[in-house]
Amino acid sequence: MNEIIGIILATIICWLNFVIVDTYFGLPEQPGVEGARIVGESIKKRNGDIAGGFFQGNILCSPDASAGTLITSIGYLVLGIPGGIIAAFLVFIGNRLCADPGYAGTVGSLTATLLIFIFSFIGLTPEMFIVGMVIAILTIQGIDQVRASIILGKIADKFNRHAEE
Amino acid sequence: MFDLVHFTVNLAAAANVYGLANITIGYFDIVLAYIVAIIVSIIIALILRVPLMPSSRYSFDVSAIYPTPIIAIGVLSFFLVLNYTFAFNGLLLAVIIGVCSGLFVKYLFNYIFPSPSQGEDVNE
Repeated sequence: MNEIIGIILATIICWLNFVIVDTYFGLPEQPGVEGARIVGESIKKRNGDIAGGFFQGNILCSPDASAGTLITSIGYLVLGIPGGIIAAFLVFIGNRLCADPGYAGTVGSLTATLLIFIFSFIGLTPEMFIVGMVIAILTIQGIDQVRASIILGKIADKFNRHAEE
Repeated sequence: MFDLVHFTVNLAAAANVYGLANITIGYFDIVLAYIVAIIVSIIIALILRVPLMPSSRYSFDVSAIYPTPIIAIGVLSFFLVLNYTFAFNGLLLAVIIGVCSGLFVKYLFNYIFPSPSQGEDVNE
């Protein structure tokens, strides 16, 4: 497959994977640690959405499905499917060290392993997923935090996980 | 004078360590080993009276379906990528790791990874 098309496809897959898993496990609902609350309230002051702010603060402060997808892609590149499962195990340990229960990170890693395995049949390689995940995390954290938080807040509304404030 | 590298390799060859350990197994056996590790770890955790499901999406309590199988398949993956599969096409290794991860979750997990509410909150 053409590299550019592959990277675009991998970006979309990674974005959907980590946003859906993180939202389902309640990242927009409450800040896990104090740092996530500060990020969320700072984004709300700039006319952003508080749920999207908590989401961004949580993925900043502990390895959730976003970091899980990235580490899984690297593990899959190095060691194949067992590498993806080792990545899930390491993400779980990292989550516990960050005072996070770790449901989102571990489940996100395992679903990412499954997705990379499925899409390897149509020619998407783990390298494309590494680049795609970096671009996906850039769209959430890097370009415009306020607009990204509003989109994340709408997604949280759909999943009934919006912060109660 | 002290040729430690060749000494070690010769000793390992004499004990037939590599012959016993490095047996490459097929995909079916690998999948079977994963399934056995998951099932054995859940059963051992349930026998040790760990609850089956976590109480909520934010609880730090251990349970039989999370994180016991995650630990079991993670550790098993380390052995598989090192090609150390032991006897019975990896099944014995999967059972041993399943039992060990069940015991770990019951008796050692809260000592190694304590939940944050057990310590003093530094912010208050």
